[in-house]
Amino acid sequence: MGRRAALAAAATAVTLVLASCSGGGGGDDEGGDGADGGGGSDADATLRLALAQDVETLLPMDSNVGDNISVLDVVYDGLVRYDPETTEPYNYVAESIESDDNTVWTIKLKHDLTFQNGEPVDAEAFARAWNYAAYGPNAMANNYFFERIAGYDEMQGETDDDGNVTEEPAADTLSGLEVVDPQTLEVTLNGPFAGFATMLGYTGFYPVAQACLDDVEACAVKPIGNGPFQVEQWDQGVSLTATRWEDYSLEETPTYGTIEWTEYAGTENWPDFQAGNLDFAVPPPAELATAQNDPDLQERFVEGPGAALTYLAFPLYEDGPWTDIEFRKAISLAIDRQGIIDALLPGERVPADSWVVPDGVPGGEAGTCQWCEFDPAAAKAALEKAGGWPDGEKMTIHLGQDETEQALFKAIGDSIQENLGIPYELDPTPDYFDRRSARDFSGPFRANWFPDYPLNENYLAPVYASGDAKNGNTEFGYYSEDFEAAIAAGDEAATLEEAVTHYQEAEAVLAEDFPTVPVVFSVNSYYYSENVSNVVLDPFSGEPKLRLLEVTNGM
Amino acid sequence: MGRYILRRSLLGVATLLLVMFVLHLLTTFAIQINGNPALAFFGERVPTAAQLAAVETRFGLDDPCYDQTGNPCLGPFVERLGAYAQGDFGTNLRGREVTDIVATAAPNTLKLFLVVTIVWFLLGMGLGTVAARWRGRSADHGIRLTSVLIDAFPIFVLLLVYRYVFAVPLNAWATETFGADSLPALWFRPSFDDDHSWATLLVPGILLGLAGSAAFIRLVRASQLESYAGDHVRTARSRGLHERHVVLHHVMRNSAVPVVTAVGLTFTEALAGAVITEGMMNIYGMGGVLWEAVRGTDVALVLGVVTILAAVTVAVMLVVDIAYAALDPRIRYA
Repeated sequence: MGRRAALAAAATAVTLVLASCSGGGGGDDEGGDGADGGGGSDADATLRLALAQDVETLLPMDSNVGDNISVLDVVYDGLVRYDPETTEPYNYVAESIESDDNTVWTIKLKHDLTFQNGEPVDAEAFARAWNYAAYGPNAMANNYFFERIAGYDEMQGETDDDGNVTEEPAADTLSGLEVVDPQTLEVTLNGPFAGFATMLGYTGFYPVAQACLDDVEACAVKPIGNGPFQVEQWDQGVSLTATRWEDYSLEETPTYGTIEWTEYAGTENWPDFQAGNLDFAVPPPAELATAQNDPDLQERFVEGPGAALTYLAFPLYEDGPWTDIEFRKAISLAIDRQGIIDALLPGERVPADSWVVPDGVPGGEAGTCQWCEFDPAAAKAALEKAGGWPDGEKMTIHLGQDETEQALFKAIGDSIQENLGIPYELDPTPDYFDRRSARDFSGPFRANWFPDYPLNENYLAPVYASGDAKNGNTEFGYYSEDFEAAIAAGDEAATLEEAVTHYQEAEAVLAEDFPTVPVVFSVNSYYYSENVSNVVLDPFSGEPKLRLLEVTNGM
Repeated sequence: MGRYILRRSLLGVATLLLVMFVLHLLTTFAIQINGNPALAFFGERVPTAAQLAAVETRFGLDDPCYDQTGNPCLGPFVERLGAYAQGDFGTNLRGREVTDIVATAAPNTLKLFLVVTIVWFLLGMGLGTVAARWRGRSADHGIRLTSVLIDAFPIFVLLLVYRYVFAVPLNAWATETFGADSLPALWFRPSFDDDHSWATLLVPGILLGLAGSAAFIRLVRASQLESYAGDHVRTARSRGLHERHVVLHHVMRNSAVPVVTAVGLTFTEALAGAVITEGMMNIYGMGGVLWEAVRGTDVALVLGVVTILAAVTVAVMLVVDIAYAALDPRIRYA
């Protein structure tokens, strides 16, 4: 989702950009932590957070970057929310979400819920939001989330090879959505998918009021939510203020009164945190050591695993040494992940030894990659087995233009060169995405994945499954019948637990075929002020969970 | 006089059109070579052709010429000119009105520039006058050395040191001494605060002014030295006028003319400094907006902002030209 868009666009220190956007991306714990209310907050206390300046909209259907997701998480309530420990979904606006065959889903809503303008939060409110998002010409950022619902294709236009629209969409509503009665929404998918309920907590699935669709432009700036906070004022590019909605009827609401987001063009908000003007911040690299040596600050430090995986992919569609699995093993074994992180980004990345983030999402497991450790001797042996690297040739490593990532991949290239003797060059390209989809890479390339919803399936199927046995997936030309079968088995599984197990089998297929080399996972960390307590980072989004926070006014 | 103004105005409009066209070409080629910004909308995801087409339409980049490298895209340019002529400056990629963005950003930049200009004048005229008056003495040497030192500290170094070394302790001290909402506490706030724009713009403005002041100090000094050697000064002195009167009325006033011109010319340089200052101090201003727009290949925003900026610059130049001619009778309206 859009956090990836942010990664692509911002082209600067990824974690810092994300980290600077305080806010909760996921959900809250239903019972635990004594979180609901807590009693530790002042009712008139203000939480002061930073927001990236490129937040352009607060329309749920169009919000897909970490920042507007954070804001909307307290302005809107979704059908499900996610447990902060396990990231597993639990029903929130939904009374129940059930299916016999994983294809037709019946969603029952809780009674008597309203939007902040008094309109009812009913099945129609969800249907109208989803139809709007799924309608191709609306060009909503979250459009693709509705691909699984029947009738999606009829809502997209046809284009010729030059990308010119040749045919308007045949339908403007999803045929798979049926409002049975005000409290019941029936959703028919294109095929079985056990993880459907897991997706429903995402921003793109929030309901919208009719008044919102009547004036979408106004609603994008001043949303009409159904959550515990309402947007009071948004001076785009400067600041955003939300205050507690007094008529909120569900249980997960913080007890502090106001949230003030200050928009920042870059990541330069550390001095503001030090001066006491912000409640959450991350120091820039140059200030990292000072912060780490400050015992007072260390008491207000929170850290958690991130969900973003950076990996090295190969153009398997192209002839080259990389079509041999031994060669890919050699590359992986030659990368000193921990050493590189310690030298370049201490504490900001962790070595990856799996394709799904361990503990971050259901089904994530550490150590599924058996060739992800640093073993120069085994690397040399594998390279020999693969027939070596062609003499006199340089290996090109393609990646986007991003200072931090270029430094990281230079270190990776150095590691490979030192341990395998393969000379390399980096090719930081401004049109990385263009070239990747055009299969224009002639060597290994950097890739990154941030999941759309917390389920191990999302690290696997969208990236590796294509159903195209001949060409493989677009990005790197991988295809595996076993992999696709395991995914399909998971999609059809009776329960989510079973599905997760099947998806784990799919990851095991990757571990055998080794099409890509996991490199690092992101890490989320924050320093927080003396005004806030009960700081919990969402393991999925990496953001502080605003609904759990307790805030008191400064001394 | 009327014909002079007319001619200058026409020249101004022609300059404006040229600027717009060159910018249009640059941004168009940027899109053709670097790839459509619509693609960045999808991030790591590979969009379907229909999804991409829909976003291109939304971004106003659906004209096929944007896919043809080398095509100058005259059609969209003419369309845009027509819209501008009707006062419609369009929207940025995500649909926010360009005029709305400028209306929010421009006042902050103007306030910053006002502080900068005052600092320039105070430092330039003050130190330059002293250096010229006591030429060759230790004051002169000291001031010349200072101006070299100022040049050695670019604005980003000044701001970086200020923000990370001085601002936080100064702010803490002021908060403790005078209270959190006191003026001194606001002066030393590490970042801009929209609710207290003047107070929080003061220090960044002074620093930006300081960084650009060296050239002014030297310019004032040089131009006053010239005046001291001028016939009118010798005449004034020979009439027995008091030295202070000579300096104030015959030296400083005359040396002000080239300084006024220089302020106009340095305006563009200040904009470059403003990009850095605004970025580092988190001021929502024109420099920062333009910077982000260029980075995001936001054609409509880049063109809209620059057109408005260029129009203002051309207008200011025009006024300066006319005022200049009015002030100095030796400049003919020929």
